[in-house]
Amino acid sequence: MAKEVYSELMKEVEKGKFIWTGELEPEKAGSVESVVQAAKDLKGHVIACNVTDSPQSFATLSSLVAAYKIQEEAGMEAIYQLRCSDRNRIALLSDVLGAGVMGIKNILALTGDHVALGDTPDAKPVYDLDSTTLTYMIRKIVDEGKDLAGNEIAEPPKMHVGAAGAPGAAVLQAEAYKVKRKVKAGAEFIQTQVVYLPEVLDKFFKELGDLGVPILVGIFPAKSYGAAKFFDEAVAGVDVPPDYLKDLEKTKEIKDKEKRKEEVDRINVEYFTGFLEHLKDTPAAGCHMMAVGYPRIIPELKKVVE
Amino acid sequence: MIAQEQKPMEEILGYLEGKQKIVAMGCGGCATFYQTGDKKAVNEMAEKLTKEGKEVTKIILPLGISACEIDLSSVFLEKNRRAIESCDAVLVQSCGEGVQVVREYLDDKMGLAKSVYPANNSMGNVGGGPTDFKETCQGCGECELGKIAGICPLTACGKGLMNGPCGGVREDGKCETDPEKDCAWVKIYERLEKLGELDKLLEMREPHAWSKMKRPRTFKIEKPISLGRTIFGSIPGYVSFGLRKPFTPRHEEKAEGE
Repeated sequence: MAKEVYSELMKEVEKGKFIWTGELEPEKAGSVESVVQAAKDLKGHVIACNVTDSPQSFATLSSLVAAYKIQEEAGMEAIYQLRCSDRNRIALLSDVLGAGVMGIKNILALTGDHVALGDTPDAKPVYDLDSTTLTYMIRKIVDEGKDLAGNEIAEPPKMHVGAAGAPGAAVLQAEAYKVKRKVKAGAEFIQTQVVYLPEVLDKFFKELGDLGVPILVGIFPAKSYGAAKFFDEAVAGVDVPPDYLKDLEKTKEIKDKEKRKEEVDRINVEYFTGFLEHLKDTPAAGCHMMAVGYPRIIPELKKVVE
Repeated sequence: MIAQEQKPMEEILGYLEGKQKIVAMGCGGCATFYQTGDKKAVNEMAEKLTKEGKEVTKIILPLGISACEIDLSSVFLEKNRRAIESCDAVLVQSCGEGVQVVREYLDDKMGLAKSVYPANNSMGNVGGGPTDFKETCQGCGECELGKIAGICPLTACGKGLMNGPCGGVREDGKCETDPEKDCAWVKIYERLEKLGELDKLLEMREPHAWSKMKRPRTFKIEKPISLGRTIFGSIPGYVSFGLRKPFTPRHEEKAEGE
């Protein structure tokens, strides 16, 4: 852990509080208004929000710009997501220094989905660095004021770097080694991919042992059947429980929009109450809510833990 | 070996549109191996082009003489100087290396400015066989194999990650980019486990040094190979290859002996 604490997120961690983070997705658009609004809606519910960087390689508005805007206009601390898919180490360094100037205090260092998975599959993938070496580079910039080649950086930024973990990884042992490697390389917090099953979580924590950094477990209360189905089908290492999926599917038959919303909320509260009760007894330091566009569910779920 | 396949005939005919006299040149190296530039391939190409009303001169290179080894292949170019001089285009049935080495020789040594076209798509270095081949080395100039259990993630990993696996490993250990391809990092993990060296996975591997990959790369050796000496010196090896017992993997041999 870095000696100094620069962000509200890490201050909360220091205090030993149960952490809630949220997620915002800039769109393929020349505007960030909707993201800023979503950040405002999440204000008070989460301590900081991840701002996604062209998730699944669907190119969207810059995560750095959106991260800056939510801090400035919504007063929401950002966890700026930065992928290696699209930038070499020079561009990554530029963006990290730029982020410091824009007041960004947290970066989540990601490898990024392969460009072939996105909406621009003919793009040349970069991957000059990976999540581990990007983490290492950011720490080197912040702690030593040097880049990867050892060149001096004047007035280095003050920020924290986190990395991702995948509890549902097909080869969990290999994943655990990677997470430990990222922590060794300097990751100060871990946010995980979405988990639905308590047993997946238990195996993950068992495999990791004492990691020495806070782990925020990703959850995804789906605001519709379609959203849950997408996660189940499209995201590697995430299994949405069939019963939960079936319950959500049934809500499609409810004609009245408000009643349907109520039923979806009820299903989510019911499912995640059990899950969060379980999570409280694990070493998790908090929860990363990927409930994009579904802020109304958050207070309900927070009640379970508090 | 440089893997390659012939381009669609429509594409080749597109290049040759309006060109009447064609020189079709093969290659006795990789292109013979992949049957895209051997004697049969050149003959078939000539036949197809003749059917399209073109006049074709064939340059067939014998096995072992590659188009890209210009000190050898140039003998065949010089022998066909007249046909090349009078042709409208040269179609080279080799990898892109061969096409360009020939093009350069025509330009610089023979003083002939000719349209030179590729007949094949080359797909880089591969190993394996006899029917299935795989790219495992991209010749990056800074070999990382000693650090990663003898599997190159720069080539075998869909993302070329020095530190994997990424979060995209499929349920069956395949790659997110292609359900047919193994995740290189799962393979590395499995190998290190067998070797009892899993602790190596806790260490970060530094970013790859791409400075050795400044293109185009050039390469010099002090003196060229002495063909005569090499061929004669290889005879004992060929004899033992010819006399070899039917192949039995060592561990099976041992099991039989026990």
